[in-house]
Amino acid sequence: MTRGDAMSHEQARDLLPWLVNDSLKADERDRVDEHAKSCVICRRELAELGNLRASIAQYDDPIAVPAPDMRRINARIDALIEKETRLQRLLSGLREFMASPWRIAFAAQTALLLILGTAMLWPQDAPVDYITLTSPQTLPDGAYIRVVFDPTLGGPELSDLLDAMHLTLVEGPSDRGVATLGFTAAASVAERHDVVANLLTNPAVLFAVPVTSGAQ
Amino acid sequence: MTRMQADNPASPTATASELVLLEAVRRRDRRAFAELYRLYHPRLHGYLRRMLANAATAEEVLDDVMFVVWKDARKFRGDAAVSSWIFGIAYRQAMTALRREGRYQAGLDRGADAEAVPASAAQDSELIRTALKELSADHRQVVELTYFCGFSYREIAIIARCPVNTVKTRMFHARRRLKYLLPLLAGTDKEQNRDQG
Repeated sequence: MTRGDAMSHEQARDLLPWLVNDSLKADERDRVDEHAKSCVICRRELAELGNLRASIAQYDDPIAVPAPDMRRINARIDALIEKETRLQRLLSGLREFMASPWRIAFAAQTALLLILGTAMLWPQDAPVDYITLTSPQTLPDGAYIRVVFDPTLGGPELSDLLDAMHLTLVEGPSDRGVATLGFTAAASVAERHDVVANLLTNPAVLFAVPVTSGAQ
Repeated sequence: MTRMQADNPASPTATASELVLLEAVRRRDRRAFAELYRLYHPRLHGYLRRMLANAATAEEVLDDVMFVVWKDARKFRGDAAVSSWIFGIAYRQAMTALRREGRYQAGLDRGADAEAVPASAAQDSELIRTALKELSADHRQVVELTYFCGFSYREIAIIARCPVNTVKTRMFHARRRLKYLLPLLAGTDKEQNRDQG
């Protein structure tokens, strides 16, 4: 809109509050005034806004403004300045230190050593909690043999084999075919190893290993 | 018609001296800051006191506003009046405080009836106070900044960081709602209805 353009009713109506508070630019003010002269609605609106303004002026008066108290904000600014000063000091110290190429080299070397040292001393990954065939699980204390039989081995043959070796089925076979065997009579370590060796000579035994559970 | 005396935001001399003060604050001049604080304290207090629940909150938010002025004085680019910049900070701090108080949406969910009885001279300060509280924060801010602080719609657009048309629209809706609320609060609509009945 340029100076001198006629103002539409909507444009003038929207600017009335700022005509009342006297903040319109001179050309805008003139055009709103011009429109209001010939617009009953805007004149009525202006009268209402004048009332509103007068009421607001009354309302505005009773607000008692306390004396400015800068203690709190001064404390905040002091704290901010102190923080900035500390940071500034740190930065200027750093700049001063870095002024010499020897110091830069020293700092770089120290940083490198620190990185290497940290990498070396960094605790290794915690051992993975997995179960092997030799890990005793929930067995009572004692000596056992973990064994994998040929799946085609029949029940009677298995029973005969265990009887011949003085062994008994304690647990399993698991989903993976692992069975745990116990000794029917006390056996020394050497005897247990002999039993395992004998078992492994049997083609129906695919895997056998002695395991102990508890303080054996 | 003269610009409202209470807040007088941007007279050329005020702007020039405020610029000088802000320039000094930029250089971390505590004395200039104290002067700027004293200069803006009544205006900001009035504005915040009307927007917020009580005087203590208004003073707290005022300190927050002036703390931002101290911290961010370097960010003032000079493309708006100092008063618009400071009131812009106050506007946002007030909005944050209003949200905290849960008063942000006040009045939004009630329909305004444009055909309601026009506001009359019966408006008094208590009615205005009550009616303003019924406006949404956005609408109320525009009314406050216009009638209490005397800002132009362009300045309000800078303060509220929105287009000038948004300012006009907010004012339009605020006026419509006040027109509805004031007679309602004054009880004049009932009287008129009774008379008509």
